Amino acid sequence: MYRKTTRQELTTLKRAFDRWGIFDYFKDKAVLIREEKNSKIREVYLLPIGLELMVINSQPYYGGLMVGEIKKKFLPSMQGADLIARVSKKFPYIIVNEIAEKLILYGRNVLGQSIIETTEMLNENEVVILLNVKGEPIGIGKTNFAGKSLLQNGKATVTTLVDAGCYLRNEKKGR
Amino acid sequence: MIFPSSLESDILAKSYGYDKWLVERFLQYVPNVKCLLEAMNRHPQQYIRINTLKIDSKDLIMKLVSKGYELEDTISHDVFAIKKNASLLPTGATTEYLLGYYYIQDLSSCIAVEELEIAENQTVLDMASAPGGKTSFIAQKMNNTGLIIALEPNLMRIKSISFNLARCGVMNTCIYKMSGQQAIKLNLKFDRVLLDAPCSCEGIISKDSARKTNHKPEDIEFCAMGQTSLIESAVKLVKPGGLLIYSTCSFAPEENENIINSLLGKFNIEIEPIQHGSEGLTSFGSFRFHHDLKKTKRFYPHIHNTLGFYIAKLRVNN
Repeated sequence: MYRKTTRQELTTLKRAFDRWGIFDYFKDKAVLIREEKNSKIREVYLLPIGLELMVINSQPYYGGLMVGEIKKKFLPSMQGADLIARVSKKFPYIIVNEIAEKLILYGRNVLGQSIIETTEMLNENEVVILLNVKGEPIGIGKTNFAGKSLLQNGKATVTTLVDAGCYLRNEKKGR
Repeated sequence: MIFPSSLESDILAKSYGYDKWLVERFLQYVPNVKCLLEAMNRHPQQYIRINTLKIDSKDLIMKLVSKGYELEDTISHDVFAIKKNASLLPTGATTEYLLGYYYIQDLSSCIAVEELEIAENQTVLDMASAPGGKTSFIAQKMNNTGLIIALEPNLMRIKSISFNLARCGVMNTCIYKMSGQQAIKLNLKFDRVLLDAPCSCEGIISKDSARKTNHKPEDIEFCAMGQTSLIESAVKLVKPGGLLIYSTCSFAPEENENIINSLLGKFNIEIEPIQHGSEGLTSFGSFRFHHDLKKTKRFYPHIHNTLGFYIAKLRVNN
């Protein structure tokens, strides 16, 4: 069911958008929450301004673009990651090599030796955007280590949370 | 409508593995049926449509060429024919595809959307949206502004639409679980309506050769009943002066020209010309259609290098 954000959710989202460097992008967009009964997941949807009332009144199956979800914090979706990579001038990221790109697109985790570059001072359990060598967002990950420990050989130093290959896998399941 | 079989249909049906009744029908109205059947025995030409919501043509072409693709321009500036794919991955498994930079879509389907004359900030209805290819093309032409309502009664197919729209970064679309006939419940009228009607799919035999023999005459009759109901609903949903595009991937005149012809006496509509394709039929067996049906267009694999397709463009007046 689609609904407006609560004051707390709006605060969470504004903080997150600021952290991800996309605060200004959302100024001329409407944001709605979609929540299923008995579910803890609150999906965040983006729409052109003016459509939000229609969506709340008519409750379509899907309306707008899902850019992430709120649990305790905001976690971007694949489309959220795409927006961030396009629009933001500063966001935490990890660039991986071509072999890792293919594995990530199958939902696999990131090994330390396949990391080419990271933002400075990444902490453990930090959510990052996974980029390929061309700077394209291919997934979202969570760091298992901090700083240079991310580069250690032979270990999965980043857990892949979402990857662009999910569209193919989900589509096949959906059929 | 069934015709008595002839020696020519017997020979062609046997040579190409079709039921005779279907070939005999083709002989009534398709130019050079032998070439049609040969073309439908080959893999169809693959086309991709650039998703300009995410990337421009120049950048995407550079990326694909560097991966071993050879692309050729088409009559639509957003659509390219894939002449060669020397990469290791199928077209539907590249990173660029997964990132929504392009959509694999036949040129004929893209022409249907081009003819809708889409502009920003319109309200558009896609009455049979799955899997979302035309919907995402409409969204791209609207630059994610305005509103698109996409309808689909089947839940699994709704999921396909949502995956494709999300992948393409579409923001201005609402998907409703309903059939086109129920669209009146939305209490909206639209600048543009697209009805890509469920049909007997004769035009996509090249993708599914089982249809050569599992397609039956009663399928055409059944589909035509549904199409009539849908298009009558569609006309009522268009704002005065708005456009309705009706399309199918069938060759059957009962699903195409006859459907449009049946509207002419009932509604205040005008058939508008379409730039590309072969002229629509004005007769088929004992059927006689209004001469304006010539303005509707047919697409044949052996003539246009597309899947079999039919497009009619209707201006709905007061």
